[in-house]
Amino acid sequence: MTWRLSVRGVRTVAGLELRQRVRSTRWIAVLTIWAVLLGLLTTLIRVAVHLAADIDAIAPGVGGGEAAAGDNVGDQIGRLMFGLIAFLVLSLGTLVAPALSATSINGDRTAGILAPLQTTLLSAAEIAVGKLVAAWTTALALLLTASPFILWTYLEGGTSPLRLLVTLGVLALTLLVVCAIGLGWSSVASRTSSSTVLTYLTIAVLGPGLPILFALCLPTVQQEETVRVRQLVPAGLYLPADSAPRCVESREQLSRTHTERIWWVLAPSPYVVVADAAPRPGDEDTALSGWDPLTLIRDGVREARLGPAEVEDRCGDVATTTRPDGGEDTARERREERNALSAVWPYGLAANLLLGLGFTVTAITRLRAPIRRLPRGVRIG
Amino acid sequence: MSEGGISARGVRRAFGNVVALQHIDLDAPAGAVTALVGPNGSGKTTLLLVLATLLAPDAGHVRVAGFDPVRQARAVRARTGWMPDVFGTWGTLTCREVLRVVTDTHRMPRARAEARIDDLLGLVHLDDLADRPTQVLSRGQKQRLGLARALVHDPQVVLLDEPASGLDPRSRVELRGIVRDLATAGKAVVVSSHVLSELDEMADRAVIVAEGCTIAVETLDEVAERPRTWRVRALDEQSLVAALDARGIPYGEGDRYGREIEIASDVEAAEVLNALVSDGVPVVAFHPAGGVLERTYLALTEDRR
Ligand SMILES: Nc1ncnc2c1ncn2[C@@H]1O[C@H](COP(=O)(O)OP(=O)(O)OP(=O)(O)O)[C@@H](O)[C@H]1O
Ligand SMILES: [Mg+2]
Repeated sequence: MTWRLSVRGVRTVAGLELRQRVRSTRWIAVLTIWAVLLGLLTTLIRVAVHLAADIDAIAPGVGGGEAAAGDNVGDQIGRLMFGLIAFLVLSLGTLVAPALSATSINGDRTAGILAPLQTTLLSAAEIAVGKLVAAWTTALALLLTASPFILWTYLEGGTSPLRLLVTLGVLALTLLVVCAIGLGWSSVASRTSSSTVLTYLTIAVLGPGLPILFALCLPTVQQEETVRVRQLVPAGLYLPADSAPRCVESREQLSRTHTERIWWVLAPSPYVVVADAAPRPGDEDTALSGWDPLTLIRDGVREARLGPAEVEDRCGDVATTTRPDGGEDTARERREERNALSAVWPYGLAANLLLGLGFTVTAITRLRAPIRRLPRGVRIG
Repeated sequence: MSEGGISARGVRRAFGNVVALQHIDLDAPAGAVTALVGPNGSGKTTLLLVLATLLAPDAGHVRVAGFDPVRQARAVRARTGWMPDVFGTWGTLTCREVLRVVTDTHRMPRARAEARIDDLLGLVHLDDLADRPTQVLSRGQKQRLGLARALVHDPQVVLLDEPASGLDPRSRVELRGIVRDLATAGKAVVVSSHVLSELDEMADRAVIVAEGCTIAVETLDEVAERPRTWRVRALDEQSLVAALDARGIPYGEGDRYGREIEIASDVEAAEVLNALVSDGVPVVAFHPAGGVLERTYLALTEDRR
């Protein structure tokens, strides 16, 4: 009874909600402002990125780096813009989406329009899911309005169509989760202001909160240990003055941070999910193939997941030519190891979807009637 | 008790430490209008919420149209129409759309729903406002829409929480007609109201509650067999007083509404009137002072204020 879900029931509730929303807010105005804002920011980003790239062009190697050889600079600019816009839409979307659902149940209750719905043949699940569908539809309308700008940065080049699709898909699902969080809080808190605040807090914890938590947790995973260290021995000290610097290995007591134990704290952050889900651009071999935010975060999280390397390599690229062991390139090995890791985003996305499911289930149980325990100060009818 | 009606026994419901319903017994048979009266805060709305499957009682046995509102809520909802005391509505929807949403939630087929909506809009005289958004409606108009909303699915049991509040005199008369028609059509109707004179004219039975307990159940026809106060007014005050004195009927102070006299039953009242007329008193008014219900109600709740 409570959990019965029919298409017709959900459609009735969603239709009701959407009609209410479309008529009561200046919907066209909101979308226009949203589009203008995004357009403005996209233009600004484009101008800024190109200015920065021009400076790089004068002093090559600063930003473009070695990648400029294989990868073309235009593609890099395109990727940078795409990443920035994807994060911008994600940030603004998670800022706006709570307004769509965070007052939908307790607001209806105070307006006296929830009880009349509950006394019909609609099940609690149909009411909750209908409201969620309505909120998500509105959020998708915002995403759709934003998509021309995302498309624009996509057309700047460097981004694969798969990356575009995955990014859009993950953005849409993240907005669904945000709507579900709002719905859940609106069923728990009796006042609309509390549920709005709680929704924003939850999103703040997820977005910037988890990376901050990760940083705060770093000292707890620091550990003294003996590791193999590869060090550069400059010519002249222990080596003959005319020989090339050499890389030698020794054992050392070091304090190292084992991020592989807490990397999962980062995973559910929507920023990480979006970044990690976006397929890595083209050439896997170039060390700096990405300085766009998506790739940086993606590599950063995977680096955290690997933890400190088995061998601490301080020789760097300089030593590759004159390795004692004949061309063992730890940096390259590390990169390969990193790329071989399974993706982080399925965990993050699954955690988020689970969270959204939890909030939706909460909303459904709170919509169940007849009610046994009423929250204090709530009057139905 | 007939299958179509309501029967509630020993219903109890508390909100934290506020006991809203202590021990309520209520029967509302099909084909009759049952008035639910009681002081403010006596638990009428709470009881109707229990019957409308919104609140679970803490204890007691409740059957609405033969089903348990807690364990068979869906069956009860399919057969019950509830009109809340505070009427909320989806403000930007038109009257017709509001009713259409309700037909959708009850899974009524479209064609039948449209016909039903037209009927109901006519019944509550909202046909010329059918395509206006409900937020512009006046309080009385909203109340009428609320009544229509409760009746959309042709329920067997109708629960009306203060339906007359905010209605103009004509709408009140019409409401009375609608409620009587529902009873005639075999529905069980429960009406809570504070306007007792109105209930006199539409209710068959009255359940009086106070502080969460049923304190009396009256059948309005029976009340006529009890002593009560009548009011008599004549064109010529002197001859009225003289006639009453001559017949030894005690009377109270006079005012411009006439004099109050105590009479044991309706039969006796008819005899007194007959005697006065045959004595040549120019009687212009002869009627019970205060409603039947009002008297019972005031007598029963005397100690509470
Ligand atoms: N949700 C609630 N939480 C706490 N107390 C409540 C709640 N709902 C009702 N009450 C209390 O229960 C009692 C009964 O309230 P109810 O609304 O049923 O009265 P009522 O008979 O409908 O009154 P009125 O004639 O004014 O409409 C009141 O004392 C009220 O304060
Ligand atoms: Mg009430």
